[in-house]
Amino acid sequence: MSEPRPAALVEVGDGAAIPVRSDRGLFTAWRIAFFGAFAALAGLALLKPDPYRAILKFVPDGIVVTFEVTLGAIALALLIGLVAGLGRIAENRLVSGAAALYVEVIRGIPLLVQIFYIYYALGRFVKVPPLASAIIAMAVCYGAYIGEVVRAGIQSIPKGQTEAALALGMSRAQAMRHVILPPIGNEFIALLKDSSLVSIIAVADLLRRGREFASESFAYFETYTVIALVYLVITLFFSKLIGLLEERLHAGR
Amino acid sequence: MGTIGQITTKVTAAVCAGAVLLTLGLAHAAGKTYTVATDATWPPMEMVNANKQIVGLDIDYLTAVAKEAGFAVTFKNTAWDGIFAGLEAGQYDIIASSVTITEERRKKYDFSAPYIDIGQILVVPKAETAATLAAMKGKKVGAQIGTTGAFEIKKVEGVEPKSYDEIGLAFEDMAAGRIAGVVCDEPVAVQFALQKAEYKEKFKIVGSPFTTEAYGFVVRKGDAALLDLLNKGIAAVKAKRLDEQLRATWLR
Repeated sequence: MSEPRPAALVEVGDGAAIPVRSDRGLFTAWRIAFFGAFAALAGLALLKPDPYRAILKFVPDGIVVTFEVTLGAIALALLIGLVAGLGRIAENRLVSGAAALYVEVIRGIPLLVQIFYIYYALGRFVKVPPLASAIIAMAVCYGAYIGEVVRAGIQSIPKGQTEAALALGMSRAQAMRHVILPPIGNEFIALLKDSSLVSIIAVADLLRRGREFASESFAYFETYTVIALVYLVITLFFSKLIGLLEERLHAGR
Repeated sequence: MGTIGQITTKVTAAVCAGAVLLTLGLAHAAGKTYTVATDATWPPMEMVNANKQIVGLDIDYLTAVAKEAGFAVTFKNTAWDGIFAGLEAGQYDIIASSVTITEERRKKYDFSAPYIDIGQILVVPKAETAATLAAMKGKKVGAQIGTTGAFEIKKVEGVEPKSYDEIGLAFEDMAAGRIAGVVCDEPVAVQFALQKAEYKEKFKIVGSPFTTEAYGFVVRKGDAALLDLLNKGIAAVKAKRLDEQLRATWLR
């Protein structure tokens, strides 16, 4: 990594750490955790089919719903975040004020409360289906955080550096990508994990399917072990994917 | 009680320890205060009143049972989803939460003698024409997660089951028009569909209960001493006809 970097990286602490090849410790931990979780799931299904096989048969449609919520929400959140982030640094004080207000209000309310609010409180006035409610609630919440990432990203590039990047033949958008993409990846992983909160509004996601199975079979230990391992496999898979994406981006220079 | 195993040096010591444990065991059986879990979102069986107290038929019933059998109880509001797991983990000793005695639950936990008979019933919006749960094919019907009402919905092919953390959330979702019906215990249905001001204009109860179920108090598997106390208390409550008074007070 000797080539000049466009700017200081925006550090974001939440979400899963995205493994970079240069960080040996994390990279090894990723492999152990990912393949370990996979092996544990396979081993349990083979060695103790009752109840593990039944659990694994029960939850897949929940995984699909978790993906639907996550992907729908991140797409919408990126859109909202871009608007909010650009709005925050807009010259127009009305626009920047509105964007700042949105960010402050949303970041000040727990996501769980927001989900309840959109589904049950606003449900008195507008009838939004459960899945759409879940996606909107997650996107509105994460849009505020992503908006701050976008704003911080833009502001972290000093004018001189932009000029330097441009002199190196990089477009402003290219420079931005290197700065903003890693924290966005972290937001995505965090959103994926937080999507488990939507199980409170009768959206049959991975966690809710697990709870339904456990409540009928009383196999609490077995069910929640499987649910935790499946989440782990999914988040690790995506953090790896995002890591690879970043690497390709850097290699392309 | 693993300490007995460690006292192996002297027989006398073991006898002494045994005597102490025996005394403790007796103390365990009578005069003790037991923690009771209840999901107080199930009116009029168990609910939180305006003074933040846990009240309801179950609460009064178990309190009467405890009085008859000579022990004390304190109630702990616990989410239904996980109420059995908490019993296993030892967070409380009894569940008094409108628990229907079923074969599946019996395999994992011990039940007291039945203390009240109840049935599942269907609640729908006033405009709904279906006369049975089976006639709700292709529609979404809600219940509280892990309840016999939820199990009954799953039994009917073609009806889309929806599970909620609390029964009140299922009724609210029906009021919002997202689901077509709710299945729950009859007294709870009466409370929500006939007595709540904001719902009684919107909902109606369909026919009469379509299952016959008995509630029991739940203890950990093998907790014979406590089970014995509960059964003695229930017998005394029934003998004194206190249960009929409680029904008259809490049910329609």
